[in-house]
Amino acid sequence: MEIIKNPHFDFLGKARYFIALSALFILGGLALMLTHGLAYGVEFSGGTQLILHFQSLPAVDQIRAAIDRTSPGAVIQSYGEPSQNRVLVRVAQEAPESDLDAPARAIREELARSYGQNPVLESSSEIVGPIVGAELRQKAVYLTVLGLLAQLIYIAARFRGGAWGVAAAIAGLHDILISLGFLTLFQYEITLNVIAALLTLVGYSVNDTVVVFDRVRENLAKRRKEPLPSILNDSMNQTLTRTLISNGTTLLAVVGLYLFGGPVLRGFSFTMVIGVLVGTYSTVFIAVPFVNWWYGRQATGAKAARAA
Amino acid sequence: MPPALQNPVTLWLLLTAALVGLVYAFMREDLRWRAILYGSVLLACGVAVWPPFERNGVPGKIHLGLDLRGGIHLVLQVVLEDALNATTDDAVNTTRDQAARKGIQVASVSRTSPTAFSVDGIEPARVKDMRDVLRDFFRTGWEVREAGEGRLTAQMTELYERQLKEQTVQEAIRTLERRVNALGVAEPVIAATGNRGDQILVQLPGVTDIDQAKRIISRTAQLSLKLVETSAASRETLLSGTGGRVPDNMEVVPGSGSTPGEPVYYLLRREGLITGRDLKSARVGVDESNRPQINFSLNATATDKFSRETARNINRQLAIVLDDNVISAPVIQSRLGADNRITGRFSTQEADELAKVLKAGALPATLKYQQQLTVGPSLGRDSIHSGVVASVAGLSFVVIFMVVYYKLSGVNAVVALTANLLILMAVLAYSGANLTLPGIAGVILTMGVGVDTNVLVFERIREELHHGKTVHAAITNGFDRVLTTIIDTHATAIIAALFLFTFGTGPIKGFAVTLVIGLVANVFASFFVSKFLFEWVLGKGHVEQLSI
Repeated sequence: MEIIKNPHFDFLGKARYFIALSALFILGGLALMLTHGLAYGVEFSGGTQLILHFQSLPAVDQIRAAIDRTSPGAVIQSYGEPSQNRVLVRVAQEAPESDLDAPARAIREELARSYGQNPVLESSSEIVGPIVGAELRQKAVYLTVLGLLAQLIYIAARFRGGAWGVAAAIAGLHDILISLGFLTLFQYEITLNVIAALLTLVGYSVNDTVVVFDRVRENLAKRRKEPLPSILNDSMNQTLTRTLISNGTTLLAVVGLYLFGGPVLRGFSFTMVIGVLVGTYSTVFIAVPFVNWWYGRQATGAKAARAA
Repeated sequence: MPPALQNPVTLWLLLTAALVGLVYAFMREDLRWRAILYGSVLLACGVAVWPPFERNGVPGKIHLGLDLRGGIHLVLQVVLEDALNATTDDAVNTTRDQAARKGIQVASVSRTSPTAFSVDGIEPARVKDMRDVLRDFFRTGWEVREAGEGRLTAQMTELYERQLKEQTVQEAIRTLERRVNALGVAEPVIAATGNRGDQILVQLPGVTDIDQAKRIISRTAQLSLKLVETSAASRETLLSGTGGRVPDNMEVVPGSGSTPGEPVYYLLRREGLITGRDLKSARVGVDESNRPQINFSLNATATDKFSRETARNINRQLAIVLDDNVISAPVIQSRLGADNRITGRFSTQEADELAKVLKAGALPATLKYQQQLTVGPSLGRDSIHSGVVASVAGLSFVVIFMVVYYKLSGVNAVVALTANLLILMAVLAYSGANLTLPGIAGVILTMGVGVDTNVLVFERIREELHHGKTVHAAITNGFDRVLTTIIDTHATAIIAALFLFTFGTGPIKGFAVTLVIGLVANVFASFFVSKFLFEWVLGKGHVEQLSI
């Protein structure tokens, strides 16, 4: 069985349209982030988040009425499957350093008082003071940038040319920006898990790029007379089946994670679904065209790439 | 970690033997050698991991993270200023004592900042003597300067300040370890964390009573027994006898009186007869009317001092001060020995917790909570359930696809994936690393990379077959050509994962651990084991058709 027999797509020829499309997505995402702001999860923004497990099906409206009395503006939504009787409550209000528990305790007491017919059986909580949140935010950005830089250096060293490393890094950055745009659009919070997913999708994207680059390197050595663009195109076509199968199966695995992985992993798996799609796309329409453009500026084209 | 591996020599020998074996087997073309090697690696992994999860009370080999089994995760900040203040206060007291002893008249000695103090109004003729005394006493750690007429200042050196801070955090960690042990928590994590190194991470798996845990963890528990000069219902009346100011060697400490709700202020000698450091043990007991009390015994040196001082001060009140609060102030009836008791209005639980923290020792500084995470056990159970369902769904899909698309070679890929999963789980079980929910996601992703490796190889083999190569040549070429790609892709992924592992915290770390282990296992399983399977099944004979 084969998916596509002898594919001969002119990926490079169409690249400009897709680059325009990417630019559109990135700019749109940035505009969305600037106007709406990134929704940081409680571990980054500081505050209190409770996951309350009620004895029977909770009435969100009544809970909201009760909680609004002590902490107005709290976010209240049902959590996970309805049959699990769980409700998520988040209060942005800063937990005082001297008594981190105070907002959480106020909520639990108010619920016991005015919603006592359906007692809370178990409460999981996440309470973050302002210092930790700010430190984590900073660290996440460092992690992403340093991680990309390290991968850039590795690729540049392996392919003996900075352009290859830069191409993979640009593609990775492109994927992060687009994913952030989608996360904002679908109102997912940036939690630690989502950061882990973003870093993984960078790894995944670079991984995908390296597979194609490796084939390009091999073809450059074998077909010494041919111009660079046709080698690049052929290499992408030769690895196309692999790209479809590998990324397709991974995509289905993360879609499964999104559907069945439970509410804790929802943000993570959403990011991964977007990441696998964009990571595949960026190899073909961002990383390879960048290499082509870089060496194309030099008159000798393929020769320069080979020398690299 | 299993006990055998805690011995570095055994560990080293085992690793070396494994490495030598691996290299030897890889060098040999011989199929039998590789069969033995791969088989024993996988068998060892199977033994290491079985049974993976708890069942019928038998504990599983894989440690579950907090998010899966429930528990408490706390980040505390050590208020280092406390420790600096205390050290500088000590220096101030020493200076006062020394000035008095040498007969040098000084107007005042006072702390000017957490790391500095000054001596003011020194009689002009003795400034030099005073300076010599200071330089003598604070030879290391302090810089003594003359700052104008009759004034000396001492400033803590940066090196000493840094040492003090580090010591404080380390001491706080040791104290917390003792307290958490008293709570009886299995597998706790207590470690320094944060960018500035002044935060402590405490993880208590399986603990659900957060209030009790927090009471035991963050109570400073500075205990001291001090002689009472006078007591009064307000600060003003208390100090009326001394002209409204607290004498240098005294201090005012509030406490509860005989009737609840009415505060009493005590004027106490600053120097305690004994402190928390002098305790040998502390436990809960009951008094004559069955009310809870805390029994404690003193170590030998403290016992000597305590019985000498109590004999000298019979009929005076002795205040029991805990964290700047007088718990009770009984009258000394007779000379006291090593075994004593603290009575007060405690509930049994309060007395029990107090005994635990007293026994574990005082914290060197106040701890402030920065972050607190509790996961209820049922939330954890549901998360495990979802994680397993998602993994099984993802894996079954991959298995079906591979077998349908690559036929018999697909079966080979499934074997490789299973081996990969087995090794990953075994390493997790062996190293004692925690499996977290993001870790499960990491496992699923590893499977994705594993499939990719197989697909790369198989597609390459198909290409070689298209070019008219024989089955044997196609397989050999396929694996050889793909090796560089696999090395590059895995190296970049491992670089990214190592970053996450080194700098990440909590869930990110758990994810990175499974990813790194999974990637390494994948090279072994999807490349070497898979290649072996091809060669073994096809044998030495001539094969016309490959099921791929």
